[in-house]
Amino acid sequence: MEKKIGVYICKGCDIANAVEIEKLEEVAVKEHQIPVCKSHDALCSPGGLDLIKNDISAEVVNTIVIAACSPRVKYREFSFPGNVVERSNIREFVAWTQEPKTEDTQALAEDYMRIGITKAKNSELPEPFLLEEMDKSVLVVGGGISGMTSALGAADAGYNVILVEKQEELGGWAKKMHRQLPRSYPFESPEKPTVNDTIDRVRAHSNIKVFTSSEIEKISGVPGMYDVSIKTAGGTEQVKAGSVILAAGWRPYDASKLEHLGYGKCENVITNIQMEEMAAEGGITRPSDGRKAKRVAFIQCAGSRDPGHLPYCSSVCCLTSLKQASYVRESAPDAIAYILYKDMRTPGQYELFYKKMQDDPGIMLTKGEVVDVTEGANGNVEITLKDTFLGESIKLEADLVVLATGMVPNTTIDSDVLGEWKKKFDEELAASGGKPDPNAPLEPHKVPNILHLEYRQGPELPQLTEAYGYPDSNYICFQYETRRTGIYAAGSIRQPMHMLGSIEDAMGASLKAIQCIEATANGYAVHPRAWDQTYPEVNLQKCTSCKRCTEECPFGAIEEDEKGTPFHKMTRCRRCGTCLGSCPERVINFKDFSINMISSMFKALDVPEEGLRLIGLACENDAYPALDSLALDRSRMNPAYRFVPVRCLGNLNLAWIADALSRGIDGMILLGCKFGENYQCHFVRGSELASERLGKLQETLGRLMLEPERVKLVQLSIQEYDLLPGILDEFADELGEMEPNPFKEF
Amino acid sequence: MVDATLVKPDLDFVKGVIAAGGESLKKCYQCATCTVVCNVTPEENPFPRKEMVWAQWGLKEKFQGNPDVWLCHQCNDCTAYCPRGAKPGEVLGAIRKQSIREYSAPDFLVDLVNDKKFMALLFIAPAILLAVVIAAFGNFGIPGGEVVFTKFLPVLPIQLIFTPALIFGIAVGVLGVKKFWVDMKRANGVRTGDLKGSVIETAKEVLAHKKFKSCGINADRYASHLLVFYSFVALGIATLIGALYIDILHIESPFSFGRGTLVKLFGNAGAIALLVGVTMMITNRFKHQEKLGLGSYFDWLLLCIIATVALSGFLAQLTRIAGAAAIAYPIYFIHLVFVLSLFIYLPFSKLAHMFYRGAAMCFMKYSGREAQQAAAVSTTPGTGQSSGPGKETGSE
Repeated sequence: MEKKIGVYICKGCDIANAVEIEKLEEVAVKEHQIPVCKSHDALCSPGGLDLIKNDISAEVVNTIVIAACSPRVKYREFSFPGNVVERSNIREFVAWTQEPKTEDTQALAEDYMRIGITKAKNSELPEPFLLEEMDKSVLVVGGGISGMTSALGAADAGYNVILVEKQEELGGWAKKMHRQLPRSYPFESPEKPTVNDTIDRVRAHSNIKVFTSSEIEKISGVPGMYDVSIKTAGGTEQVKAGSVILAAGWRPYDASKLEHLGYGKCENVITNIQMEEMAAEGGITRPSDGRKAKRVAFIQCAGSRDPGHLPYCSSVCCLTSLKQASYVRESAPDAIAYILYKDMRTPGQYELFYKKMQDDPGIMLTKGEVVDVTEGANGNVEITLKDTFLGESIKLEADLVVLATGMVPNTTIDSDVLGEWKKKFDEELAASGGKPDPNAPLEPHKVPNILHLEYRQGPELPQLTEAYGYPDSNYICFQYETRRTGIYAAGSIRQPMHMLGSIEDAMGASLKAIQCIEATANGYAVHPRAWDQTYPEVNLQKCTSCKRCTEECPFGAIEEDEKGTPFHKMTRCRRCGTCLGSCPERVINFKDFSINMISSMFKALDVPEEGLRLIGLACENDAYPALDSLALDRSRMNPAYRFVPVRCLGNLNLAWIADALSRGIDGMILLGCKFGENYQCHFVRGSELASERLGKLQETLGRLMLEPERVKLVQLSIQEYDLLPGILDEFADELGEMEPNPFKEF
Repeated sequence: MVDATLVKPDLDFVKGVIAAGGESLKKCYQCATCTVVCNVTPEENPFPRKEMVWAQWGLKEKFQGNPDVWLCHQCNDCTAYCPRGAKPGEVLGAIRKQSIREYSAPDFLVDLVNDKKFMALLFIAPAILLAVVIAAFGNFGIPGGEVVFTKFLPVLPIQLIFTPALIFGIAVGVLGVKKFWVDMKRANGVRTGDLKGSVIETAKEVLAHKKFKSCGINADRYASHLLVFYSFVALGIATLIGALYIDILHIESPFSFGRGTLVKLFGNAGAIALLVGVTMMITNRFKHQEKLGLGSYFDWLLLCIIATVALSGFLAQLTRIAGAAAIAYPIYFIHLVFVLSLFIYLPFSKLAHMFYRGAAMCFMKYSGREAQQAAAVSTTPGTGQSSGPGKETGSE
């Protein structure tokens, strides 16, 4: 298709007050020979839009550059399907943040015209990637309350569901309960378990196929077309699925590690799980003598919020103990339940449950630190507590002690198991001629456990050290997401939660699973680029099989063929472009975003011999909105910068830096997200990878005889936009003190 | 190893406090807002937070010889600011009731006086007693002619009943205080102190109503309590002068102007002050109902007795002067019943606070705790009473 570019300049929102529109038109018409260039007082008004639409209908233009506001606003108005649309942000980046009608301001606006026009010249319309064959079933792994709810959610929406449960029967922990927490207002009394109704609904649903006593043997393929082998009691079943919900639940923390709280040492110290079982069997008695327990002490945070055990709060144990305290109180009018806590945590509406239980005179609570649990006379347990509310250290005698142990996700690989696998992998590596590093920790997702994914990056979902065994996700923006597209974690395997939380979570996960299937069917990416139909295209002839892309892909979307040549499993891809940045041969590109395009944009800039010229690469998700926020505040921005949005700072290809600096640009600032354990990157490691790549900058700049200080990476979170003017000025000052870039004269 | 005290929670004690008007006890989650806002608590080991948790845990022994529950003047600032509606003021009131039960013997009378079930009995019993006495020594009916109350019941039987009743009430209170004092000394490890000085200081404090001035939300209680307090003083003086006239000077009542002016002056001033004071107390309760609650039976019983005493006394005088015999004598009878009740129930009703609160305030001085606190406050620049350094953690 022949490109027919039209440039449309908006004069509204103070733009015409800040710059000479005619001169902007000259950039398009004279410098870039664009045949169609028009301006309008308010381009987003019906009249302005008609201007564009008429040109489109007259087939005068098919590639539209709109020089107006930020691409983050008015995207509905400036949407012209079937045409390439580019936006030059001269409102936020120029009119709202610069001194009006100065030379610098005019130059800045003209450069944004050049950037936009160059990008339009290098952009193509996307051709969606579609799978040849698709299956729209949802595979649900785990038949507890979360898994069953997810299954019902998807099945009720008309999707076929395959539900795989390891145990002989459905129900999971919910089935083992004596009473469950109330699920609705007024959240006051424990209810009889309702899990059997859910099981019955699942069993009766025509869209759900249940495999019990079954486990996943292997999952290969891609979102939209997974091939799943299920190991059943009778053999192996092969099924297909479009997306996967992981709801394999949790296990209680191993109480045998809690000897300091009397477990294993005193016969009458049990766990909350044992308490629940005992209550379900009908009677709260002491293991030592079978006598009715009248004084029951609950020790909260048993092995939780403790760096030596589980460092986190499971958020349900306080509620469970309150619930179990009600069992104690129901057992006899003079029975007493003591709740000894670090902090009572009853999230959300369950504050009402806490209040109700606390109102019972026989439920006595105090904060305190348990220092000792010993066996006294007649099998009684003596608990010593310090730092209590009672104003002194106390000793308390109980018939029975219940340890409120926390939740461990079933994705956690115990350290001894991890050690065995580490040994095994190291031996395999040594046998194949590699050099194993005995000190390098084995990432838990490399150990086959639940999903058995056939992914180059490992069979399970990646975790973060500080996610404590829970699957890694962008906690702020996409909690359901895992780092495997199409696979969604739900319930207590994602985060510790109570049953009501699990039910909500499971519904959310089924929606996500359905979205993924439908996005895949239509050739769209899934979150966070859900509108995007482009995808990475690789010029394999030039690929050297260096494997950087396969290793750096945050989502395990790139596999290798037998010869070691990488290829994208496209529907696993989230279109972040990390691979584009990683490729030293620059062979990975998108239709509307390529190495060459960005380089061309830099080359198109006007670089005068005098005066500072700086480029800012801004992450589209956080840094770019932060710049826009600055404009909304009408803050002044240093006029030396030209900002170019990138999909993620992980797009950073060192070639860009070389191209920009050899063009005479004085320096580059890279605005990315915070990285590390509490990362904010939408694509996990983008800014971190960019920072790693900058480690090799010396090599690149050494060839050009330029200082590495000319490039600076800034980690910025979106709400820190107010820091930006200072950051930008500081960097500009630093560069101002350096010699001008010697390449300016070329 | 930690030096720990073995605690023995008593569920019945918890239930007792709840039944005594502390039904909000269990709502407390120990944030200590109450202690922070309290203007009368000492800085060291302040109340009422700790009392709340002790009561929740049924730690009965903590309340034996505990002066703090009595230092509370129930201004209810704590209740107004409590984020959970635990009403520490009301709970402490209920605990005080338990404390009265502990020290005012016999304890069944405390139960009887403070149980709604026995309300009718509470007044019928003295009424019957009086009726029998009147039938025996006076004229149980409407005597003819000018209204003269001695026709209804002569002075001597009145004195023979009311004086012992008052002595009984005071004696029970004094004995209770004695027991309480011993317990306070033991519980707080105090051996000796300046008893005379402490009593004088306490008396000054009570006469000036100093503590009431520090109350926040319920500041108007200062005026109402002051009025009621001094009205009783005035009425006491009037009664004493009356006794002097009758028993020593042998002047018959009703007294005429001239010789009787002093009695009338004190009596009427006291009666009016009492009426105004008790009315203010009642209206204050309604005024602050939303924030502080209306109060318990324990509170209302005393309010009603006092209000009835004041009203019936005043009306009896008016109807007597008006010569409305048919109304005057029955009202006088009611007046007698309620005054007798007031005397007998003195150490068992809420009125017992005059003994125990007085003792607790005195003990503060006797034990030196108050002096310590004053020293701590004065050596810490820039700290007011409610933000001193010794105040509970959680206040920040």
